[in-house]
Amino acid sequence: MRLAWAMVRHRFAAFAGTFVAVALGVAVVAGATTIYLSSRPEAPERYNSAPVLVRSPSVGDNAFGEPEYQSWTAGEAIRLSGELAKLPGVTAAAVDPVFYAQRVIAGRPAGDPQDALLAGHAWSSAALGGYRLAAGTAPRGPGEVVVAGVAPGSRMPVLTAAGPATWTVTGTVDGPGFYVADREALRMSAGVRVIGLTVDGDAEAVAGAARGVVGPAGEVVSGGARDSLEPVSVTRTRWLGAQLLIAMVVLGGFVAVFVVASTCALGAAQRRREIGLLRAVGATPGQVRRLMYAETLVISTMAALAGLPLGALTAPLLTGPLVDTGLEPAGFTVTMQPAALAGSFVLGVVVALAGVAVAARRASRAPALDALREAAVERRAMTPLRWIAGAATAALGTLLLVTMPMMATTDQSSAGLGAAMLLLTAAAALAPIVIVPLVRLVTWPWRGAATGMLVREGTLIAVRRVASTAAPVLLTVGFTVLLTGTVATIDDVQGQHDADNIPATVVLAPDGVPGLAETAVQAQAGTSHLPTRLLVTRGATTAGYDAEGAPPSELGPGPAGSSGGVVLDKTRAKDLHASVGTTLDVRWADGSTAALPVRAIRAAAGAGILVPRELARQHDPAALTSAVLLNGPPVASVGARPMSARDYVQIEIDEEGELIDLFLLVLIGLTVGYTGLAVANTLLMATSARRPEFRTLRLAGATEAQILRVTSAEALLAVAVGTLLGAGVAVASLSGVRAAVEAELDRAVALVVPWGTAAAVIATCTVVALAATTLPVLRRSRSAT
Amino acid sequence: MTTANNPPAVELRGVTKTYGSGERTVTALDDLDLIFPAGTFTAVMGPSGSGKSTLLHCAAGLDRATGGEVIIDGTPVAGLSERVLTRLRRERVGFVFQAFNLVAALTAAQNVALPLRLAGRKPAAGEVTAMLGEVGLAKRADHRPSELSGGQQQRVAIARALVTRPAVLFADEPTGALDAASGREVLRLLRASVDRHGQTVVMVTHDPFAAAHADRVLFLADGRVVDFLTGPCGAQEIALRTARLEEGRPAEVLS
Ligand SMILES: Nc1ncnc2c1ncn2[C@@H]1O[C@H](COP(=O)(O)OP(=O)(O)O)[C@@H](O)[C@H]1O
Ligand SMILES: [Mg+2]
Repeated sequence: MRLAWAMVRHRFAAFAGTFVAVALGVAVVAGATTIYLSSRPEAPERYNSAPVLVRSPSVGDNAFGEPEYQSWTAGEAIRLSGELAKLPGVTAAAVDPVFYAQRVIAGRPAGDPQDALLAGHAWSSAALGGYRLAAGTAPRGPGEVVVAGVAPGSRMPVLTAAGPATWTVTGTVDGPGFYVADREALRMSAGVRVIGLTVDGDAEAVAGAARGVVGPAGEVVSGGARDSLEPVSVTRTRWLGAQLLIAMVVLGGFVAVFVVASTCALGAAQRRREIGLLRAVGATPGQVRRLMYAETLVISTMAALAGLPLGALTAPLLTGPLVDTGLEPAGFTVTMQPAALAGSFVLGVVVALAGVAVAARRASRAPALDALREAAVERRAMTPLRWIAGAATAALGTLLLVTMPMMATTDQSSAGLGAAMLLLTAAAALAPIVIVPLVRLVTWPWRGAATGMLVREGTLIAVRRVASTAAPVLLTVGFTVLLTGTVATIDDVQGQHDADNIPATVVLAPDGVPGLAETAVQAQAGTSHLPTRLLVTRGATTAGYDAEGAPPSELGPGPAGSSGGVVLDKTRAKDLHASVGTTLDVRWADGSTAALPVRAIRAAAGAGILVPRELARQHDPAALTSAVLLNGPPVASVGARPMSARDYVQIEIDEEGELIDLFLLVLIGLTVGYTGLAVANTLLMATSARRPEFRTLRLAGATEAQILRVTSAEALLAVAVGTLLGAGVAVASLSGVRAAVEAELDRAVALVVPWGTAAAVIATCTVVALAATTLPVLRRSRSAT
Repeated sequence: MTTANNPPAVELRGVTKTYGSGERTVTALDDLDLIFPAGTFTAVMGPSGSGKSTLLHCAAGLDRATGGEVIIDGTPVAGLSERVLTRLRRERVGFVFQAFNLVAALTAAQNVALPLRLAGRKPAAGEVTAMLGEVGLAKRADHRPSELSGGQQQRVAIARALVTRPAVLFADEPTGALDAASGREVLRLLRASVDRHGQTVVMVTHDPFAAAHADRVLFLADGRVVDFLTGPCGAQEIALRTARLEEGRPAEVLS
């Protein structure tokens, strides 16, 4: 250990690569995990003054793994809140219906459409957030509202699910949202899912008493458990952010291992003499291995300590961008996360030790005799370990690529990432095989010139040095091309696929609103579905399903005498073990129940279940229509605009695409930044270690320019080797992706190669590589004179 | 003062060493039988490429012979694992190279203590200083190799090689990179270790004046011993033999 410390102190420059790689890796991981852990579910601010909340019961988890809640009907909710209000310690029990309300300013819907979905509230629920009436009076009748920032007496145009309305502001409140009379709120919302209690005294005692009253009709939460009332949309936003953060951690860790491994390998190769000397004076292979581990432990500990504050201090700066890009909910703040820091520290050290493992193994096996060899003639560049590792990662990566089209679309990007990592590792491990022929080929035109000869012979002798410097380039180019290419190809296919299914008609689409209001829909000549959610009970199980309200013409003739029945698609019919004539016990969004007969089973039926539109509207007053397929001229409505069906689909694709682009940008930025450093570092290391060689060249009459030409040519060669290998891997696996997609779709698919991105990345690598080789040469020549 | 009757510190029996395979096979050592008796100072001479270094490496257990037997201080090295061989080397063999003998990160004292520390032994108080004193560098204990002259570095290397009191010290052209005065100093040290402590020394050299410090001189050519001088021999005699070797056919000289 003392020896390790002496080594590190003496030749810090040689360990700088490992230091930088680990420090950055730890910073990225510490930052990402700090954000990840900071992003915990939180009860909405609206419940700040309600220490005890009662929630309607859950019937189990849905397909996303989120609990599926059933609503209380307005009547049930009012009855329950009445009983709760009587409990000792409860100052008030407020029913909390939520509905869509959005302000209209100058004829245009204002504000964030998604926020508007949850903006309408009952006036009595304002107390749950501790919001008070600042001026005016509470809303009492229809068309009256209390909001913040609008003077009492003003008239305020709004959009609700029913359609446009103009409300009268009766008062102002010091909290966000639209507060209407309780009865109005209940009318506009689909049932009730939360009752909030304000208390004086012990919240836990009240919660206990409330449990007694509520029984199985709901769930009483207090304290930290209140955070589970986070709105689903917020949870999904955080989930998206978490995906990016996880990818960053995985990628950061991977690139760190990769860079540490290649700098350690280079470092060990350069220290052959020193290690040989140690072996000659009596260090056993085990002692050499332990020395290298100890050195790495020292370096990575220092690096991790440097990286931690960097990550922890950068994380809060990312709050704004994360919220802006929709990866974290509004109001998100980063807090200090000791667990994240501790974990990143350990990870950094472990990753560094993993990175040095192969180099240490190899170095410890070097014969003592290496200390005596004059020229740095390398032994076999390919070792059995390299072969095995290369073959294994290549096989795994290929397997992942081949199975990719069978995965869900959401998993494909992470599968692509994994495959990219595996294949690039394989390419890096197997690189020495192709370097020799490649170098011969590339330098062939210049074989006569002194520079060409020096470069050619120099690189042919030091195959592993070239492999080390080419590795980060390979990683960057390959990763960038493969990932962007895969996503672009799949995107391209998907866009076409979706567009193929769209009839060439005009649709009325939402414009600045989360969905179309009822009046906008009714005004049009066209067809549309009203999306809602149904809980269907079959036997002992109840589950939630998406359903759509459809016009009678589409549902077809119902069973004689029934007021309405449902149409199922085949899959749903199978799920529900239903056939025509089966009666389904359903619970509507507003909490009321019904028995609906199955009137038909078709190959396709909207989201799976079609119900009469009227019933859907009646039982889900807050529901919004996503689009109307027009078969007449569009009628102008607030928050709606006509467009071609193709454009409508394209908007959705673009929205998803934007998010994927953002992911790619972050991940590629991370990789390029990281590997750019690695390129610079390995070349700096390699060039500095060649000091004696350059001295010999100078003595042999080489001018500064000639030496620079040799080093630059070698750097370019390394970049070329890395680029060719990386691009080779990327294009090969891109073709694999394409073949799989083609087989799946049974038609030809265009391969999208991201030329622009690739060119930018290669240019970056080239510039970095040239700078990293030129600087040490220039600096030395200056200090030498 | 020294005799060939002493027990052998190192013995080579029919040692062969070849490099490469097929057409490019190079026979560096060709069926060598040699004994280095304890307490003697042997110089190995011969033209470049004659196998001198290879001989030293095989005899020191740094490299394994292709055929034959190497016995270091009574232990045959053939079947030993790398770890056991390393230990044997650490305890029984000292080695001084032409250059790059010292770990740059460590001070002179730390370099000298290195074999002891690698053996998991804490150097006794004064042990390292005494060793450095013997090579006349007691005052340089805390200097790093970059702060020492080439001759001083070689003396530190000798101190390091002798600190374990090895059965045999091998030196491969230890004066090759030094100026004449520093070279003489190094040779004097090697001679003194033989005279005072009965150290066994085997030294490869090109220099007849260096070889003149030895008790006997071996002449190597093409991996065989082609000539042999014993007793204190003059540099002139050695130079003469060398010259003869380089022009004529060695075999006839031997016979
Ligand atoms: N590692 C090696 N690989 C191949 N040939 C070698 C190696 N080491 C030495 N040789 C060859 O073995 C012969 C003896 O070399 P060496 O012992 O170094 O000679 P000397 O030290 O007398 O100059 C030479 O022909 C040399 O080329
Ligand atoms: Mg030699």
